[in-house]
Amino acid sequence: MDLFLQYLANGVVVGSSYVLVAVGLTLIFGILHVVNFAHGEFYMLGGYAGITASTAFGLPLPASLAVVAAVSCLLGLGAEALLHRGLKNQDQTSSIIASFGLAVALQNAVMVTMGPQPELMHTELAYKAIELGPVFLPAPRALIPPAMLIIVGALFAALRWTWTGRSLRAMAQHETVARLCGVKVRRVAVITFMLGATLAGVAGFMMSAVYMVHPLVGNMIVLKAFIVVIIGGMGSPLGAAAAGLLLGVIESMTSAYLTNGLRDVVGFLLVIAVLLFRPQGLFGRSLERS
Amino acid sequence: MSDPILSVEGVVKRFAGVTAVDGAGLSVGAGEIVGLIGPNGSGKSTMVNMVTGEMPADSGTFRFDGRDITALPAWRRARLGMARSFQMLRLFGSLSVEDNLLLARHISMKRSMWESVLGARPAREEEEAVRARARELLGWFDLAPFADRKVTALSIGQQRMVELARGVIADPRLFVLDEPAAGLSPPNVDRLIALIRRMRDEFGISILLVEHDMRVVRDLCDRVVVLDSGTKIAEGPPAAVTQDPVVVEAYIGRGWKRRAQA
Amino acid sequence: MTRAALITLAILAVGFVAAPFLLGGYELNVLMVALLYVILAVGLNLATGYCGQFSFAQGAFYGIGGYTAGILSRDVGTGFWMNLPAGIVVTGLFGLALGLPALRLKGHFLAIVTIAVQTLVYLGLVQWNSLTGGQNGLAVPPIGETTLFGVRLFEVTSLRDLYWVALVMAAVFVFIAWRLVHSRLGREWVAVREDETLAGAVGLNTTFAKLTAFVASAAFAGGAGVLNAHAMQGVTPDDFQIWISCMVVAMMVVGGRGTFMGPILGAIALTILPELTGELARYKMLIFGVLLVVCVTVAPEGALGRIRKARESRDQAASGRAPAKDPSEASA
Repeated sequence: MDLFLQYLANGVVVGSSYVLVAVGLTLIFGILHVVNFAHGEFYMLGGYAGITASTAFGLPLPASLAVVAAVSCLLGLGAEALLHRGLKNQDQTSSIIASFGLAVALQNAVMVTMGPQPELMHTELAYKAIELGPVFLPAPRALIPPAMLIIVGALFAALRWTWTGRSLRAMAQHETVARLCGVKVRRVAVITFMLGATLAGVAGFMMSAVYMVHPLVGNMIVLKAFIVVIIGGMGSPLGAAAAGLLLGVIESMTSAYLTNGLRDVVGFLLVIAVLLFRPQGLFGRSLERS
Repeated sequence: MSDPILSVEGVVKRFAGVTAVDGAGLSVGAGEIVGLIGPNGSGKSTMVNMVTGEMPADSGTFRFDGRDITALPAWRRARLGMARSFQMLRLFGSLSVEDNLLLARHISMKRSMWESVLGARPAREEEEAVRARARELLGWFDLAPFADRKVTALSIGQQRMVELARGVIADPRLFVLDEPAAGLSPPNVDRLIALIRRMRDEFGISILLVEHDMRVVRDLCDRVVVLDSGTKIAEGPPAAVTQDPVVVEAYIGRGWKRRAQA
Repeated sequence: MTRAALITLAILAVGFVAAPFLLGGYELNVLMVALLYVILAVGLNLATGYCGQFSFAQGAFYGIGGYTAGILSRDVGTGFWMNLPAGIVVTGLFGLALGLPALRLKGHFLAIVTIAVQTLVYLGLVQWNSLTGGQNGLAVPPIGETTLFGVRLFEVTSLRDLYWVALVMAAVFVFIAWRLVHSRLGREWVAVREDETLAGAVGLNTTFAKLTAFVASAAFAGGAGVLNAHAMQGVTPDDFQIWISCMVVAMMVVGGRGTFMGPILGAIALTILPELTGELARYKMLIFGVLLVVCVTVAPEGALGRIRKARESRDQAASGRAPAKDPSEASA
């Protein structure tokens, strides 16, 4: 039982990072109908920006976080121009291919400037740990779930109660009608991309103290995020939040009780099953409305 | 009336709580032109889509040529001899007019698909014969000069004609026409009426016609079925049905009388 | 289009036949890789370009073909000429399996299922150690001597010999693709792509059309995979990651999906161009990524699609009638 709780906690930590990446991905898909394959690179660049700020420039963590957010916003701005504005009136498969191109370009830009070797963010936090009953978590890990809760909670509140949030949701429902109601599409698109990039960047930043970051780390991350997005129901942020935690826990349990080799496989099996038997996702769209 | 080619009974279709078709039925006799009319939202299109198999019915039976086709998908019904046109024009946009017709004839080609892939002579000859037939039919519909043209390069009126030719080339027993006159100018409506009549007289095709244009209905139909709110409210010869007070009431506020006398 | 395609094909054929007499080993190797990609992209074009079913699993099928060769060589001791048909059949069956979800899903949902399948195959190759040799992969013998009923026909030893095998195989697959798309089956694929509902309404069996498109497209990749395995004398999972699939999709799209020559030219161009970067070789993939974004933005229908469109509008202008100049339009 004690071990079970420890696995659960590990799953929640990893799951929280999935949530951060996937919520942005699902927003970009749900609102702008862009299938963004370069989303993993937002995560990767967040990690590198954080490591550079905190290690190379010796900035304190909050300042590093601000750097990560700034870099992510810039990325989001650029990605929106390329993948949304640049591809107006094209089908969604175009965005898949263009974002694949962007992903390759970003990966190799980092490869050329930073080199291929993996990096880990070192902080004095790494020497602290938190014990909750039988569960033992080093501080960099323990911080991730509460940070995720705060960020995603703030995001949902903003979506619900601010004018901008309502614009975003209106766009997701129907672009033309939203436009007629005075929603500025361009502005919404830029904000959506910036939000998505920042969420992923912050995830990458926090996870860089737990797992190594390397130029190709985004490949697996983006696939995991797509798994989460599909299981949660494409375009549903709340579904993505639930599915992200679920996937983290399922992976952790699979690796603990079955075999570590199946850890990455189980999610894809789940996706195929979901798409075949419940294409609207486990948590469907209805959740979003309620 | 001899054995009907199409008979539909007790059809029910619900969409998320709204009952679009509620126990209606209809039949089309061999060589008959039957009109299906009713106010907007009366369930005509839903009915047609269930007849041709694009949409499954919640309940009801569909018999075609003496055979129960209720469980058959659209493509199987087409192979039994049912052709249709669409309210919103539907053609294979990137293909030529001739290829559009050719595809509708695939179902009755005798040579196997593999002979065609291998380019075997019998398959090539068969395809040539079908192409010749397509050109002949296109002449019939005044479309001969456009055979090699991409269909989207044609005007809407011409595309409607391509749709009709596509139905005819399949040699169907029944041709379901979903508002063929929509978007046509009055002279073209006259042509359409003549063409539909020839389809029946020369090719012996039975026709189920959904139409808003009362002139078309009056000129062509042997019998008219009127739907309102998914149920059949009247049936009979066009002249009698249009005078039926129940029918008039169903249309009131929509200028029915005025249009009927136009 | 057909005539222009034949002329282009002829020019390409002359170039590829002359290449072994003119080029050194490195260049010839690049051209051989280009030929493998031609088979992959032409195959993918059958399902995606003609039948409209998006697939990001071509790299997985490439791998399945290669691993079929590797496993058969190891466990049964068969050579290239037995492995080739076996690889094509096995991969075709996997293609059939991938076609099943395509019967229910469309557009980006299908694209994502194929991405999931692609990744699953990759993970399967990594994890199923006893069958696939895990991360280290399998060694595959070279093609070597070829005999028929005990009679020695020829021997494939040098890179040049291998190149000839690849060229012949690519030519055969391109020819098969040509036959397929110009047959009734190919026409039905296009019908499904253009309007599935209508295809059903005129009596076409859309299930059959989609499944055959997937099987054909996978079988092509399987053939290329077997050749690749024997040419490289080995297979590892990392050769068959999703990025290979994306690369093949990119080749098809940049060349022009649904055109016959587009994927061929796209495969050749995207294999050769990055090799020409010379001094900039470090930035090869970076440039590739940027190019891809630019291509999709500027000409989403691909190079040949763009040319075809231009020709069509020119023809229309030449024939002197704009669409919609018919009295029937007037009232409505």
